[in-house]
Amino acid sequence: MDILTHPVWGPVILVGVFIVASVLGYIIIKKVPSLLHTPLMSGMNALSGVTVLGALIAGVVCAANEQTVLMCIALAAAAFAMINVAGGFAVTHKMLRMFNKKGKEDANE
Amino acid sequence: MSPILFYVLSAVLSAFVLIGLSMQSKVRSAVAGNLVCVCVMLLAIVLTIWNALAAVDAAKWLGILIGAVCAMAAGLIAGLIWAKRVKMIEMPQTVALLNGIGGLASALVGGIELAKGSETVFARITAALALVIGAITFTGSLIAALKLARKIDSRPKKFKGHSLVSVLLLLVCLAGVVLAAFDGLNIVSLVLCAVAALLFGWLFAMRVGGADMPVAISLLNSLSGVAGAIAGMAIANVLLVAVGGIVGSSGLLLTQIMCRAMNRHLMDILLGKTVKLDKPEPKKAEAPAPAPEPEPEPEPEPEFSLRDAKNVIIVPGYGMALSQAQHKVKALCDKLEANGATVRFAIHPVAGRMPGHMNVLLAEADVDYEHLYELDAINDDFKNCDAVVVVGASDVMNPAAREAEGTPIYGMPILNVDQAPQVIVCNYDLKPGYAGVENPLYSRKTGIRLLLGDAKESLDTLLAELSTTAPKAQTEAPAFSLKDAKNVIIVPGYGMALSQAQHKVKALCDKLEANGATVRFAIHPVAGRMPGHMNVLLAEADVDYEHLYELDAINDDFKNCDAVVVVGASDVMNPAAREAEGTPIYGMPILNVDQAPQVIVCNYDLKPGYAGVENPLYSRKTGIRLLLGDAKESLDTLLAEL
Repeated sequence: MDILTHPVWGPVILVGVFIVASVLGYIIIKKVPSLLHTPLMSGMNALSGVTVLGALIAGVVCAANEQTVLMCIALAAAAFAMINVAGGFAVTHKMLRMFNKKGKEDANE
Repeated sequence: MSPILFYVLSAVLSAFVLIGLSMQSKVRSAVAGNLVCVCVMLLAIVLTIWNALAAVDAAKWLGILIGAVCAMAAGLIAGLIWAKRVKMIEMPQTVALLNGIGGLASALVGGIELAKGSETVFARITAALALVIGAITFTGSLIAALKLARKIDSRPKKFKGHSLVSVLLLLVCLAGVVLAAFDGLNIVSLVLCAVAALLFGWLFAMRVGGADMPVAISLLNSLSGVAGAIAGMAIANVLLVAVGGIVGSSGLLLTQIMCRAMNRHLMDILLGKTVKLDKPEPKKAEAPAPAPEPEPEPEPEPEFSLRDAKNVIIVPGYGMALSQAQHKVKALCDKLEANGATVRFAIHPVAGRMPGHMNVLLAEADVDYEHLYELDAINDDFKNCDAVVVVGASDVMNPAAREAEGTPIYGMPILNVDQAPQVIVCNYDLKPGYAGVENPLYSRKTGIRLLLGDAKESLDTLLAELSTTAPKAQTEAPAFSLKDAKNVIIVPGYGMALSQAQHKVKALCDKLEANGATVRFAIHPVAGRMPGHMNVLLAEADVDYEHLYELDAINDDFKNCDAVVVVGASDVMNPAAREAEGTPIYGMPILNVDQAPQVIVCNYDLKPGYAGVENPLYSRKTGIRLLLGDAKESLDTLLAEL
């Protein structure tokens, strides 16, 4: 049985993961210079699209249970989240390459 | 796949997200870092689908897979097309919109979990919370994006009981979450949470002002991550929780940095305490008209002229209505503003013949209602203004109302026009107004100029004086030229973004370097509308990031440089931040531009920036050169001189 659905250990583990990830993220992101704050934000936009995983899981469960309306909503949520993932990463890439023109030319040579 | 293997893989992927992010702290590795994150996301999606489909019976899984892939492909294509089309100038609203869509997706996931009913209390509570936070993020970001795109007014909007309604809405959300914990069906809590949270997000963003947007965007960024993480708790997915947590803390970090840089408290910004309402209109200072008219600084003359006035108050009265002079008044107002002056209208409650008479007339002449101030809002400012132009008003500014007991106007609240250093009266004659009490203002010894006759003609006289201003900016000592400067620091601000002047700035930088000068850029953390705004624009214009210096790295060098070129920045280099206690910018870290021997300011006008605090730098005696108007044209002037 999946420990994450355990009534006590599930919440404890999930909240624990949230806290650990937040603290680690905070420490690492603190090193990002203000020069790159905008790409950082759009990169975070893309990562917040990770909720696509939630949409997929919910959608699969709904489909298995034949809850068609909910499944359609889940698919819509997946599509929205993917806009975030694709748009966010692409915009970030565009900006970072702009910052890094010199580096890129070196790499091409 | 066994749960253990799934957790291990999730942990590995989370670690790679952190690695990718740490690579983004260096420009050289940042592109690769971003690609690492892309790969992680791709693997996470594949892993999740694989794992989820394993529990579905064989008959259904192909259909489900196709549906999921189609939905994701649609989003993917839409996102890529959007990213391809977006211009660098639109980045703030793009980031805000992406925040909103992420919030929406998380809200939908939370809503689905609530609607289909979960077994555990924890799952139901987190699902409701994800719905609430996601929905707040969605509407909040939508409003923020509209404000940033200037589709709606970017000033803080508040109504009576704004805070009360907001708190009530939050309580409703809370009630929804509590209901979700107990209610089996959960439809009631679902609706409560969704509606209240959507409204709350809207109210929250409406009262955040334009220049406070960096804080709001960062906060919404954080919320979009938290919403994802909580949705992850609802469906018990570790990876979602971990990545959401990282995004949440990143946004929080940026929020802290922005608040510190503006010397503001987060709560003040969220509550819309931006600038005092009776301060000069902050928005105007940042919103140049498409065709600005740069005019050189006029030479002071012995006789007072409106040309020298930087802070003008216009007092309209019934005479303006009689003469139908409101369009001329508007023309005067525009001219003065093009001259770099702040123009406000002081509207006495009983000016004219009906309540709001003046307001209607001025609105007809297209005067922005933001320029109109009520008696109480402006009365203390007369003593600080440079000049007052009275157009057909008498009783409403008759100082006799204070002393002349027994007269009809005694005790009536009046506009303190008599406290102004210079008053220009455009009245038909000097006869007392309707109340029949002589106005002692007309006979004061100094600082009064009477233009009698039709108000329209008097205004024409004033307008003509303003336009005949001969350009004589360089009559004193030969103006300082950048040609001699060997060490130049450029300070960009939001005005550069508005004017899209970054390419001209780059051209200036190249020209100076070809001249043998060292050029550096001083980037204030809150210059612009989002964290790193200036850096993005300058990178777009091909300025090497090695030229860009943060506040701490360059602040000690201002005193040693030869010249500073300011492009559309005001508050971030306002020396008043060091001394002017009680003002919004007091204590905010600023760039020490005032320590430089020569400062060239390419701003649209001299009005105070968003904080509404006058910049004493503009009026210093030596080493200052003001190039007003569109920054691109001012930079062209500088380029031509080189």
